Amino acid sequence: MGKLLHRDLIVGYVFLSPFLIGFLAFTLFPIMASFYFSFTKFDLLSAPNWIGLDNFYKMFKEDDRFWQALKVTFIYVSLSVPLRLCFALFVAMLLNAGAAMLGLYRTVYYLPSIIGGSVAVAIMWRQIFGDRGAVNSILALFDIHVNISWTGHPSTALFTLVLLSVWQFGSSMLIFLAGLKNIPRTFYEAASVDGAGAVQKFFKITLPLLSPIILFNLIMQTIAGFMTFTPAYIISNGSGGPMGTTLLYSLYLFQRAFVFFDMGYASAMAWVMLALITVLTGFVFFTSKYWVYYETKEDRA
Amino acid sequence: MKKKAFLLMVAVLLLFLAACSGGSSSSTGDGGQTANGGGTSEGPSDQNGAAPEEVTLRIAWWGGQSRHDVTLEVIELYQEQNPHVIIEPEFTGWDEYWQRLAPQAAANDLPDIIQMDLSYITQYATRGQLADLTPYVESGLFNTEHISDSALSGGMLDGKLYGINLGVNAIGMTYNPEILEATGLSEPSWDWTYDEWEQLAYDVTEHGYYFTQGINNEEFFNYYLRTQGQSLYAKDGRSLGYDDDRYFIEYFGRIQRMYDAGAIAPIDMAAQIQSWEDGLTARGEALADFVWSNQYVGLTTATQKPLVLHPLPGPGVKEGLFLKPSMYFSVFENSDVKEEAVKFIDFFINDIEANRIMRGDRGVPISSEVQEALRPELDDVTVATFDFIAWVDENSSPIDPPPPVGASEVVSELNDLVERMLYKTITLEEAAAQFREAANSILSSN
Repeated sequence: MGKLLHRDLIVGYVFLSPFLIGFLAFTLFPIMASFYFSFTKFDLLSAPNWIGLDNFYKMFKEDDRFWQALKVTFIYVSLSVPLRLCFALFVAMLLNAGAAMLGLYRTVYYLPSIIGGSVAVAIMWRQIFGDRGAVNSILALFDIHVNISWTGHPSTALFTLVLLSVWQFGSSMLIFLAGLKNIPRTFYEAASVDGAGAVQKFFKITLPLLSPIILFNLIMQTIAGFMTFTPAYIISNGSGGPMGTTLLYSLYLFQRAFVFFDMGYASAMAWVMLALITVLTGFVFFTSKYWVYYETKEDRA
Repeated sequence: MKKKAFLLMVAVLLLFLAACSGGSSSSTGDGGQTANGGGTSEGPSDQNGAAPEEVTLRIAWWGGQSRHDVTLEVIELYQEQNPHVIIEPEFTGWDEYWQRLAPQAAANDLPDIIQMDLSYITQYATRGQLADLTPYVESGLFNTEHISDSALSGGMLDGKLYGINLGVNAIGMTYNPEILEATGLSEPSWDWTYDEWEQLAYDVTEHGYYFTQGINNEEFFNYYLRTQGQSLYAKDGRSLGYDDDRYFIEYFGRIQRMYDAGAIAPIDMAAQIQSWEDGLTARGEALADFVWSNQYVGLTTATQKPLVLHPLPGPGVKEGLFLKPSMYFSVFENSDVKEEAVKFIDFFINDIEANRIMRGDRGVPISSEVQEALRPELDDVTVATFDFIAWVDENSSPIDPPPPVGASEVVSELNDLVERMLYKTITLEEAAAQFREAANSILSSN
């Protein structure tokens, strides 16, 4: 019996090995290595040099661009995540109201999410919002003649990134749609009988019953928002410009690592980002008990 | 049941192995050009046997498609003449090149021959990644008979030769004579001044053209500093090469005036331009571009305009101008096949047939013999480049040492501050002072 169990174990591990080896070599090891590097000065070309907390000290005390990157990222996340969630919920409700060819619409709206993170879309975005792009041409039709490049101007560049993020609302939408389908029709029917209007139904039934799903989407999208890299990199040509207005945190981290070859500092930045995201996620979880409504818990209470 | 599990297990293992080996072969064969790359590409050989053993040389470079094509052709030629050498090329664009090279250095796995740039050579050489090639020059393995000392010295650092210059470049500007004709403005004289330069910009702007789509901050500020007897970086690389803000104010004040007058295209518009083909010169909207001489050929082709290559304004042109190594070939310090690498570089520099294929793609060839042989076969534009370089050779001073470690951060700081200055969120004087302080603080850690 024991022998058999042993053999099963081996078989199990062998089946697991592709994942396990990949995880150990390409995930766990790099994570531990970056933790070590964050306390060193490491330029990739020579051996890392232990400098204790200097990287962190420099980051918080001396590095203006670090604060600029933090500021830009917070603006980006706090605009793009709520907007994207609202938009996703809006479209999900439209679809849930029942439309012909629901499957088709679902797929069409999901498409941007599949291709959204890609380089091609970012390049397309740069063209659309360029000085001779589609947006300016459409505005010209209404006799509004704008001659700026939206992606190149410091006061608008970040908002084109936010728009790009909102445009990729598909995955949140699908999750919302699934959530909406789970809300029993009888609740709405009962509310109608009691004379509730559409707005009341939305705030008294839909939102509370959907709140666990909103929580899930909020957390996932916030984390993804903090890690956004590709669009900022492509649209600003890797510079985070104009005037540092699209210098997202991960773009600055990338610059530190692969443009200035300051791998130790970049590792330190990565760990600061991890800490930040942890704190924020923890905060969202903490507040969730005040606004998230779990149906099952109430039932049993 | 047991048998089934066993079979499944084997199948999984095989899949996994196949996936692994597939990955490794695709990563070495990057360019897929190793036509005769059999399984025997391992053992680097000692060079003392009569029949040379097979060796594998890895070569990495950056560039555009045309450079990839001609370089692969040269490699092909070399392999034909040296059947014992198998060459594995690794080529990418500029950005990825450096992002890829640094991890390779960290893994002690750099290619045997590495195309190097002036702005990175210090970093790699001082960290012990590049071999000193002086012994090979002395032994004659690398033939320098037709190469001037000044051409070689561009790869020198502390008396050691870390890179072989692949061609020379000089800074300049190009203009479109058709626009001057259309506006009735006269062509600039060969020895002109910054005031005339600025005036030309205003004149052409008055006729509804842009003067230029942009001027690289670092390189042209450096040129200006040199005309004033200063330099961007100090000789030891621990600070800026000037400490009086008036140089910054004089040069970027001029840029600011030209920008405000609309002579230089708006920054947001310029940021949109990704290639010469969709640049303002190609559209016929701008008069001038500020380039390195090896870009002149590509620029003319891309824009389809009869552009003229012209020197930058003075006074102090002779002090300001210098011959810049366009790029180098360096040899990895820990390479097992250094001698073979040097032989290939020798071929690359001195072989007329090879250079005939490349047509000065990496700048004007440094071997006088190659230059002589190529000249009759070249088109007008390339000849103009050769002539320009010949003129600069007579009218220039020695190049400054390669940019120090941290230079890329300094440049990024400079670009940021100039942008802020042009958008008027800081004043010219503030930009000058902030740049000096930030740059000196970055460089002080060298």
